[in-house]
Amino acid sequence: MTALLELSEISKYFGGVRALHEVDMAVHEGEVVALIGDNGAGKSTLVKIVSGVESPDTGEIRVRGEATNLVSSRSAVDAGIRTVFQDLSLCDNLDAVQNLFLGQERHGSFWSGRRIRRHAMEEQAQRILESLSVKLRSLSTPVVALSGGQRQGIAICRALISDPAVVILDEPTAALGVSQRAEVLDLIHRLRDQGRGVVVVSHDMKDVRQVADRIVVLRLGTKVAEFRRGEYSMSDLVSAMTGAHEPLDDEGGDQ
Amino acid sequence: MSVATETRRSPVGRVIEMAAGGHRSIPVLVVLAIIWTVFYSQSSAYLSFQNITNLTLQIATTAILALGVVFVLLVGEIDLSSAVLSGVCAAVAAGLCVNSGLPLPIAIGAAILAGMVITFIEALVITFGVPSLIVTLGGMVILQGLILVVLPPEFTVSVAGTPFAKIASTAIPVGVSYGLAAAGTVFFAVYRLLQYRERRSTGTRISATSVYVPSLLVAVVLFGGVFTLTRQRGLPMPVLIVAVMLLIAWYFTTQTRYGIHLYAVGGDREAAQRAGVPVRRMVIYSFLILGACAAVAGMVDASRQLGVSVSSGGGALMLNAIAAAVVGGTSLFGGRGSIWSAILGALVIGSISNGVQLLGLTTEVQYFATGAVLIIAVAVDVVLTRGSILPGRR
Repeated sequence: MTALLELSEISKYFGGVRALHEVDMAVHEGEVVALIGDNGAGKSTLVKIVSGVESPDTGEIRVRGEATNLVSSRSAVDAGIRTVFQDLSLCDNLDAVQNLFLGQERHGSFWSGRRIRRHAMEEQAQRILESLSVKLRSLSTPVVALSGGQRQGIAICRALISDPAVVILDEPTAALGVSQRAEVLDLIHRLRDQGRGVVVVSHDMKDVRQVADRIVVLRLGTKVAEFRRGEYSMSDLVSAMTGAHEPLDDEGGDQ
Repeated sequence: MSVATETRRSPVGRVIEMAAGGHRSIPVLVVLAIIWTVFYSQSSAYLSFQNITNLTLQIATTAILALGVVFVLLVGEIDLSSAVLSGVCAAVAAGLCVNSGLPLPIAIGAAILAGMVITFIEALVITFGVPSLIVTLGGMVILQGLILVVLPPEFTVSVAGTPFAKIASTAIPVGVSYGLAAAGTVFFAVYRLLQYRERRSTGTRISATSVYVPSLLVAVVLFGGVFTLTRQRGLPMPVLIVAVMLLIAWYFTTQTRYGIHLYAVGGDREAAQRAGVPVRRMVIYSFLILGACAAVAGMVDASRQLGVSVSSGGGALMLNAIAAAVVGGTSLFGGRGSIWSAILGALVIGSISNGVQLLGLTTEVQYFATGAVLIIAVAVDVVLTRGSILPGRR
């Protein structure tokens, strides 16, 4: 099966600093890949590259087997890759529907006064929210009044408006309480069950263990290990992340 | 609706939420009712048809300027120069119409264009990164100089007896006024009915009272307004100007994507930018609207005062316009408020100064009362916001 998104030998330098060095990674249909690593491991640089914010210096990005240049966020979206950033980028004063469609509102033609089609948008919002079982008291409450889990849900649903093949979630559970964290992990499972490829960037190993089919570990810009579900222990993850026991030698987890 | 049972709220909580949220106008109307009651108890002439008509004419300038200010506040900017700008635009229009003898429509068009060009320049500097407080403070001083340049050497233009004076003094015949009220009511009822049908067709449970009750209210307001304001002559032209501008602004802010973008930019610029909202362009649009509003406000004022002078657009006009927007419920920090705050706030502030003058109280009292109402209004706002789970009210 061709991967939905495949990165090979991606390197990125900022001046003399090596942010990423020959990183390989693939995401398949209906698969959750976790990307973990300590601060400065290169996770955010990799996210920026696949979301089109930064371009890699060397290496190749293939979308469904075809080499693709992600030169802007627009081109990433067009290629079917949507990223939900950690800060969610929601406008607190707008309601769920307005946030979901912000920047891509449906509206009528010039002759009908370019009126926004609130009902069409509400209906679509309803469908998407239901597909991920995001429950809201009302679609017209400003999102500031919603819980952290609901806000995360809306941000993820917004990514789904353009029906992307790959969804990248940047630290989706950071700053959430226990029950909301479970809610978001459920969301991730539902995204997977819809047949999408999901990349979860996190440094929370507990969440990652619960949700990921595969775990890619980055340290100092290189991929140091890759684990399949059930083939690793917590200490494997820790040592790979921190380099405490030189995981490359004694884990053999790579591929 | 996917309904999830959330924390149940007390009735008090729900009232607070309504007052802070979608029904932000209600507390302002309560304040207005209190002010009217107080003054009416002191003098029954206060609520006479004649005085209400006077009041309406007095607040027209403030309301129009406040409408422009609301747009700028919504995107999270501030403006201090538009009152003086209104004087400059009035000077341009009066100069072209009276001194150069150009037809009135051309003079009006030129004044509106001048207002928009000046706010466009200000907006460019603001989107470049200079705080709007500074740009418009500097702009205000520059415009005070500019009005001296635009005015002829004697520094006044009298418009008495010219077509320009007719802007404010025209009265729309009583029959036509009622026709307009009827048209407005029908328009509103049809709008609500279409909305109702649309919701019904999507299976949302909604009662038909959402059509009848608001339509009846609008009918009462429109016909009551026309009845009151046509006691002496026809409907004063400035009232129609304010109504038309409110209608356009309402459509723009609530029915189009640009409206959503205005609120988005004021709510969270970064998020709006990432979602693809043209943030800089929205800021510029807001200032262009302010420029047009300032020009119209200036011309209505000049036409009512029968002239333009160095002091046009001076005095308390700027602060009154900002205060009106804020008292009406528009946040100084962007993203919250509505166009109705312009007219409601102007009514509150105008009602105070009108009452003070009617009772023959001294000017100090007027200043004290207006300032106190401004502070109290914002304090009430803070209390409502804290008591509500909806700081992001609109």
